[in-house]
Amino acid sequence: MARTITVEGDLNAVDTRTLLTAQGSVTAPSLVIPAGMTKIKKIIATAAADGLAAGESVHFLRLGGNAVKNGEQVIVFGGEDSQTVQTGSDAAPSLGSYFMLGDVDIDVTPSDTLTIAVESAGVDVGDMTVAVTLVYGK
Amino acid sequence: MAKLYRSREGQITAVDTKSQLTTLGSETAPGPLLVPQGAKLLKAVITALACDQSVAADGSFFIRLEGPGLPEGPETLAIGSSGVAVATGGHGSRSANRIEVDVPVVPANEILIFAENAGEDTGTETVGVTLEFIT
Repeated sequence: MARTITVEGDLNAVDTRTLLTAQGSVTAPSLVIPAGMTKIKKIIATAAADGLAAGESVHFLRLGGNAVKNGEQVIVFGGEDSQTVQTGSDAAPSLGSYFMLGDVDIDVTPSDTLTIAVESAGVDVGDMTVAVTLVYGK
Repeated sequence: MAKLYRSREGQITAVDTKSQLTTLGSETAPGPLLVPQGAKLLKAVITALACDQSVAADGSFFIRLEGPGLPEGPETLAIGSSGVAVATGGHGSRSANRIEVDVPVVPANEILIFAENAGEDTGTETVGVTLEFIT
């Protein structure tokens, strides 16, 4: 048996820890680990930027909070390139495919609260939207 | 048995130059990356790369893992490449990659992570690396 949680949010500056707390039309989904779930088994993460600034950055996920037994776990999940000499109408799309990490095996405490944060490092590439899904298991 | 994840990131600004990854975004001095207590193996390496595409050139990128935390010596892993015909605009998203390795480690000892640009100088790159330890 597995359970899932998906959160998303904007990441608009480098070197800034940003909590993901929304889920589209659901503004405050529960980040409490479901009863009986003792591990994060899979992570799916995706990001795309508008490329309105020239730069390059990599993104990483910070999984923390009281629910994570062995302290905050930090995992890189993607990068973004942007060179903005071109005019906006000529700009290529930024199609963010997802990164899926299986057999994640992070120990968590059921019924305790998780924090899901993302951060970008490097040079700002503009505004970015990030979505993260966690799959819980035993 | 659980897994533990430790990450660092940093920039490459010159070709054929070892560039140590020592920061973690808002954490400008996270300190040495130590093998966690109880870790038996470096099970996998997860890498992410971004290039500013500011030079019309092509290059490949790899990382070096070194230090007393690796009893069998340094390891190198290719992590990607980038090329553009003109430095007048480009945009792309890149997913991370996971490379399974099974490298022995020494708990409480340091692993140094370096990134490097080979081939032609492609501008500035940011590289992120996560080490996946298994206990």
